[in-house]
Amino acid sequence: MRVKNCDGVTRRDALRVGGLTALSLSLPGLLRLRSGHAAKSVPGASAKAKNCILIWLDGGPSHLDMFDPKPNAPAEVRGPFETLQTNVPGVSFSELMPECGKRADRLAVVRSMTSPLGEHNFGTHYLLSGYRPTPVLEYPAFGCVAAHLRPTSGMLPDHIAVPNFRVGGANFSGNGFLSTTVQPFAIGGDPAKPDFSVRDLDRFPDVTAKRLNRRRKFLAAVDGFQQAVEQQAADVNLDPQFEQAFRLATSPEAKSAFDLQAEDARTRAAYGPRTIGQSCLLARRLIERGVPIVTVNNPGWDTHQQLYTRLKEGFAGARTPVGLVPSLDRALGALLDDLDERGLLEETLVVVMGEFGRTPKLNTSGGRDHWPRVFSVALAGGGISGGQIIGASDAVGESPAERPVSPADLTATIYTLLGIDPGTELHTPDGRPVRLVQDGTAIEELL
Amino acid sequence: MGGRANCCNLAFVVALSCFAWVVSASEPTEVSGVQTADERCQPRQLPVSTVAPKPVDFDTEVVPVLTKAGCNVGACHGSASGRGGFRLSLFGGRPQDDYKAIVQEFSGRRVNLAQPANSLVLQKPTGMLDHGGEVRLEWQGVDHKLIERWISEGAPRLERTKLVNFSVKPNSAVVKNADEPARLQAIAEFSDGTERDVTAWTVFTATDSASVEIKIHSNTRVVGGDGKPAEESISQTVRAIVRRPGQHIVIARYLDRVVPIELIQPIGHSTMDRDGKSATNLVDRYVRQKQSRLGLWSSPDADDATFLRRITLDLTGRLPTGEQVDAFSLSRRRNGSTTARVELIDQLLESDEFSEYWAYRFSRLLRIRSAPRETQGADAYANWLCAVIANGTSLKEMTRELLLSEGDTHVNGPANFYRVGADARLQAEYASELLMGARMRCANCHNHPLDRWTQDDYHGLAAIFAKMSTGRMVQPNPRGEVTHPATGEPAVMRIPGQEFVPPGSDGRQHLADWLFADDNAYFGRAWVNRLWKSMMGRGLVEPSDDLRATNPPSHPALLDALAEDFTANGYDIRHTLRLIAKSQAYAASRAPPDVDDLVLKFYVFATAKPLPAEVLADAVSDVTGVWTGYGQHKAGVRAVTILDGAIAAPQLDVLGRCQRAEACETIDVAAQRGLASKLHFLNGDWINKRLIAPDGRLQQLIAKDATTESIVRSIYRHAFSRDPSSAEQEYWQKTIKAAGPAERQAVLQDFAWSILNSRAFTHNY
Repeated sequence: MRVKNCDGVTRRDALRVGGLTALSLSLPGLLRLRSGHAAKSVPGASAKAKNCILIWLDGGPSHLDMFDPKPNAPAEVRGPFETLQTNVPGVSFSELMPECGKRADRLAVVRSMTSPLGEHNFGTHYLLSGYRPTPVLEYPAFGCVAAHLRPTSGMLPDHIAVPNFRVGGANFSGNGFLSTTVQPFAIGGDPAKPDFSVRDLDRFPDVTAKRLNRRRKFLAAVDGFQQAVEQQAADVNLDPQFEQAFRLATSPEAKSAFDLQAEDARTRAAYGPRTIGQSCLLARRLIERGVPIVTVNNPGWDTHQQLYTRLKEGFAGARTPVGLVPSLDRALGALLDDLDERGLLEETLVVVMGEFGRTPKLNTSGGRDHWPRVFSVALAGGGISGGQIIGASDAVGESPAERPVSPADLTATIYTLLGIDPGTELHTPDGRPVRLVQDGTAIEELL
Repeated sequence: MGGRANCCNLAFVVALSCFAWVVSASEPTEVSGVQTADERCQPRQLPVSTVAPKPVDFDTEVVPVLTKAGCNVGACHGSASGRGGFRLSLFGGRPQDDYKAIVQEFSGRRVNLAQPANSLVLQKPTGMLDHGGEVRLEWQGVDHKLIERWISEGAPRLERTKLVNFSVKPNSAVVKNADEPARLQAIAEFSDGTERDVTAWTVFTATDSASVEIKIHSNTRVVGGDGKPAEESISQTVRAIVRRPGQHIVIARYLDRVVPIELIQPIGHSTMDRDGKSATNLVDRYVRQKQSRLGLWSSPDADDATFLRRITLDLTGRLPTGEQVDAFSLSRRRNGSTTARVELIDQLLESDEFSEYWAYRFSRLLRIRSAPRETQGADAYANWLCAVIANGTSLKEMTRELLLSEGDTHVNGPANFYRVGADARLQAEYASELLMGARMRCANCHNHPLDRWTQDDYHGLAAIFAKMSTGRMVQPNPRGEVTHPATGEPAVMRIPGQEFVPPGSDGRQHLADWLFADDNAYFGRAWVNRLWKSMMGRGLVEPSDDLRATNPPSHPALLDALAEDFTANGYDIRHTLRLIAKSQAYAASRAPPDVDDLVLKFYVFATAKPLPAEVLADAVSDVTGVWTGYGQHKAGVRAVTILDGAIAAPQLDVLGRCQRAEACETIDVAAQRGLASKLHFLNGDWINKRLIAPDGRLQQLIAKDATTESIVRSIYRHAFSRDPSSAEQEYWQKTIKAAGPAERQAVLQDFAWSILNSRAFTHNY
């Protein structure tokens, strides 16, 4: 299923407007509120997280109808939903999130995220890479960077996208200026379907493991000779993507990692029957089997119209709400419990976010439009202390009221939690050094 | 705060909100001694724009201040709807409107003739009054004083003179290292014949700020005395410090003019062929010129087998057949390599295979794609296209047919052009990308921030397309219109960047005439860039459908020369392809694995091009001798002959086929063939099945008891257009023998599999 966001802006457009940024505009005044130090690794940071599950709410989730409700604001801001008290005194979420409400003590919510980029592609680029798009360079997503810096050489790819990585209008590749090999492996199928399987994991008849090994050896020989024809060096590195495919194809564990049938019925049910639920379950299975980075991509959050139906009911008149928020709520609740029970929560950072928030005022179509000036991001696990609210939006959820946090700050935080120094330098194909985070500072409360 | 219904508006408004300019107007910087890159680039001494006692000219003195300060960018008052009730023309393109907005609108309250300093137009940008766009002008700075003086003179619009030309010296410079900055001087020529240094009112921006740093040094000085009234003048020194080797671009903007400046820091130390004049082919002239400025070299020619495979794939989308390999080697022995290559190029250009392949390439650009349960239109379109390419119809004729055709789209192929975009606006976007290589999409919601396109251009072009009804019958629809979002009125037909089309006349005809007018800067350049990219692996402009002043070509002179040559030779694609094919740049040898992009960009080596999905599919069929069907097309059909992108062909999709639902030309084929397709090649049936097919080449050879040597030779000749070297032959014979007779069948399959999956096979080198 491919959900299209409203403005079919492609990456090329992102580059174009990125060009404008480079041409004439600098940081918004808003961000000047904070000191713009370059990222430093925070001494004494715990770095308990080894893994990261990113739950990407593609299209831009409404902060007001989820983690940052405004019960006292005028009706057109408050929106159609009530508020519930969580298990952390003084912290309320939307009524659509009872499961998260019961586990708020394990969540840290940043309510003062702020960005100037209100277009899907640009926002996605900024939130996932920590850099605003520019015309000369596409930056890599943090998940791809982590996979690049810490290759595990396991049987499974280091970064898997469930079910796919079509984020921000599907034009953000993820690898940026890094090689395409760090692009996440998109499993393709929908884990919620009964016949779910990952394509081409089964071997072709008679092509044994021994023969796959032989093919790999032959492949190196062909390209080695081919290069030697034109010059001396015949030392061939096989295409890393082939190598990864080869590992997947030759590993018996790989296939079982994707086998949701192996989970017991109670666990499967806990996550809920929707794609987001079963995707989160698959994410847990993969993390358990040594995949360090999993991106769960949950499309459909671009709620310009029919906010009530899309966020809550799922379809008009649903008796049990199966909209975006209840489905996410159930999945996220189950994921936190499941990771916790298996002792994986401490070492697995869970990040829940989209590219921006939604307009404080409902529009005439009963929806909310794009709003990057303030929005919320939720984190859990990975050694952070839960039960925290970081920053705040103003009375109507329009601007940060205190402690503005930029996407670069968030990226610096995620890297730091994963034990990666945000000051680390990567190199572009033409050799230019690029820091992981240029002007962001990790959020201290989370470290 | 506003929940706007139109998300595009909102998105861009938010994205481009009025934030500060990177380059502030007066930021004193320590600069020691003026050093320029080159003696020839020494700035001329020109009268500096002065805050002269003669009355201030609104158009040429006040507006530049507004542009420099960023007041009239698309994100601020230059937006179509203005900002805070105050609207300026984008980058000061229409000073008459700006004058009206400043002096007459708002009951004239923006200027206070009695107390100039209290004018809103000064109070707001200096931050004296609350200003959403923050502080833009320094209080009592030179610019502030200029506007204040203009108001005190009665805020007149003298129209003393007009800008006729804007240039930057140097517009291209070689800068050896970071210690030798290039000094940039902006010069404006006015209609009264004066020429002034306007560096102080020009915005310089490096497209890659990590590679080029712009340093600005401002001096304000008071001159005069001696009984004359004192004059305060501002001058500015702008230096560009180049921090990395390569070619970098700085964009200079003055009023509504944009000029790109090339700054080159040599990559290598070669001094080969300094001027490129010895080259006979115009391609080589310019490519070498650039190489020598960068201190790069030209690599030797690729060997004949590589060249044969390369040119055959590029011109016909096929691997050379056994007969072609033999014929070429015979011709080479008889006439020598050079003649053999030239003859080969000419033969290929005249072949049916060329027409077939280029019809495929054009079908992607024309986005031929049938509607559900209605394939007749796509078929008619495809048939027309094949005939047009086969007949060698000029691209001019072809384009005129596309633009002017009407009637039943099931019969009249080119009329399907009007059915690509879902509505008139999308059709306008598509047409501008196809025919002008220009992306106008931004100008839907606001004037284009980086290009010259205005909302008038965008909606005016859409208005031309709105005058056609686009059902099965394409015909004029005089009542068709689109609404201009800024006015709420029907948009007036307009040729982009030119003039409005008189009401009642045929906008399509005007558009066609303009595209082929002598001074049209778009059509020819857009098309030669595409042809270049198809042969050389990268466009002179990238992305190849985004030509604009702020995205300059890597080789501007070459692009212009190719476009001129293309136009002068009747818009004949074969002519331009021949020219490129016969150049030494095209014949360059394959790049060693460790060469980086910095060098490849300048055509020192040939760039490896991944075979397009359809070409790869056909190549695998040719080598294995096993053909498959696609959709309703039976087995045996070549994938490149399937011009309708809507035909279901999952086998092609896994190879990264572009289904023509959106722009195909900027899709990265290699990125489409990631882990998932590699897995498919290993475990899926796409290749595996063909290796065991009894009627396939491999099994047939095995069945005929062919020797290992002849099997290896046969596969190599078909896949690589050459015989295996003795080292290769030896390796395979030894390895295959070592596996033992019981394994021979399997090991031969694995051998063929590895050939078909090698980089050397899946790419065109």
